[in-house]
Amino acid sequence: MNPTTHTIETARLPELPAREERAGTLNNVLAIAGVVIKEMYRRKDFYVLFVLTALVTLLMGSVTFFNQDNIVRYLKELCLFLIWAASLVITITTAARQIPAEREQRTLFPLLAKPVTRNQLVLGKFLGCWLASGISLLLFYVFFGAVAGAKEHQWPIVNYFQAAVLHWFMLGIVCAMTLLGSVVLAAPSSTNTIVLVVTVGILLIGRHLNKVALKLEEPVQSIVYGLYFVLPHLEIFDVRDLIVHNWSAIRWDIWAAGLAYAVTYSAIFLSLACLAFRRKAIN
Amino acid sequence: MRAYLLSLSLLTLVAFSLSTTLEPWFQSWAGSRTQTDNVIQVALGDSRRMFARHFYAKADAYFHKGYYPSVYDSKEGFDEKAITGNEKPHDDEKCEGDFLGKPHDWIDAFSRNFFPSRHVHVGECDAHDHKHDPDHDHAAEAGMEREILPWLRLSAEMDPQRIETYTVASFWLWTKLGKIDEAEQFLREGLRANPGDCEILFGLGSIYYEGWKDISRARNVLELSMVRWREQEGRKTEPNTLLLGQILNQLAKLEREQNNYPRAIEHYTLLKQVSPSKQSIQEWIDYLKTNQPPSKVPLVR
Repeated sequence: MNPTTHTIETARLPELPAREERAGTLNNVLAIAGVVIKEMYRRKDFYVLFVLTALVTLLMGSVTFFNQDNIVRYLKELCLFLIWAASLVITITTAARQIPAEREQRTLFPLLAKPVTRNQLVLGKFLGCWLASGISLLLFYVFFGAVAGAKEHQWPIVNYFQAAVLHWFMLGIVCAMTLLGSVVLAAPSSTNTIVLVVTVGILLIGRHLNKVALKLEEPVQSIVYGLYFVLPHLEIFDVRDLIVHNWSAIRWDIWAAGLAYAVTYSAIFLSLACLAFRRKAIN
Repeated sequence: MRAYLLSLSLLTLVAFSLSTTLEPWFQSWAGSRTQTDNVIQVALGDSRRMFARHFYAKADAYFHKGYYPSVYDSKEGFDEKAITGNEKPHDDEKCEGDFLGKPHDWIDAFSRNFFPSRHVHVGECDAHDHKHDPDHDHAAEAGMEREILPWLRLSAEMDPQRIETYTVASFWLWTKLGKIDEAEQFLREGLRANPGDCEILFGLGSIYYEGWKDISRARNVLELSMVRWREQEGRKTEPNTLLLGQILNQLAKLEREQNNYPRAIEHYTLLKQVSPSKQSIQEWIDYLKTNQPPSKVPLVR
């Protein structure tokens, strides 16, 4: 027996079994996520936006056109528009301030000394923001369903469920994108602005970028078409028109493929955020 | 301190003097928005017409259940006249074929599952729903034309001079929703904003004739609309002959039903000059002259 080898082996810290390590990671991520969720319901952003959405919707719902009291689609469109705007604001502002706030308040150092790894911190922040946006979205959609159902006397629960889940997964991409922005960019305000502009831009012209590209000269055409394939198509998750005009539910396999598309892009942005955060000097 | 007060007084004096000159000029200036009591006109100026166009397009999009070309799409082949009630029947097999065309790539093909991508009109059931959903509620689509009304109301508020808004809204109110009174009131509102407009008068005459069955009033209003048409459209290089045809056809039908054949023949003879279906109109004229049944009714509505 070689005594040197023996000494080295005993000097190592005992390694945790893989299952315990995974459980530890999960606990850390969930603990961080829990703090983010608590933060959301302590802040006033959500309540203000929810009350505003409810007020505008109910006010517009009280208007009667040509003595027809069962006109509802304009109200559904308005309410969904407000929900989309509010959810984007809540998600982006919540995600953008997470890591910079930890740095500013000097709570990042004790957090990373727990031990919580940088990856776990980013994952926890993402999960917290995503779940927080999901909770707010649930309340918004319950309100929407109640208003639409009261006026329309129809309850297409499956359609609403599909729309809400697609919306939530879209917010997952936005959340991951914002976290990446908050690590790379200097201040939360710039992250908020840039991510909001990019998100709204994709929602407005993402679907048409290929048509725009085809009208351009080379090499700009290839660049724009390339961008069309690279960009996350957030507009895919915007099924408001299907809901407003009472179209049939989306086929489940296609719906699931849409969710998989969102998970892929969220994972890409999250990996980039983890990578950028690992290389970032936090002091 | 004194110099400061003096300069302040001087500036006040200059401002007051200028206002005495500018105020009378502003009140008489053609571009002044203070001449109207309409809040929207004061706030938006002429840009309200742009909003009116947008809201009218929104009504059209609602008529197509969200299937509507964007600014990036070609409108070629898209039936924009369908909302006016002059719709062409569309082929369900080619329902994905007009402005969208074939998908350019897999993202385009995939994304078409997430927005309305089939040509269908409000109040109609989609052929796709028949095929894929046996429990599809067909009755739920009845009367859904009402959903376009808020946008037409808004369009009229934004631009009261947009005639199409009044005629389209009253058409759907009257024909599909049975709201004859509301349709008449809306047309009257349009007539107040556009005195003597022949298209609105024609709509009003049709409501009196087919809605209220008030024959004498319908005759008067329809004849007035023909007079106004001659005044407004007659001088144009490309007059709206479709509208004249509709007025004449309505008048001829009215007189025929009242057994006033000479007047009916008179209207049919005028109609023959502007209608593309001259043969069938001649058959009607012959029928009224000889009491022999015509092969088919005139095609002009």
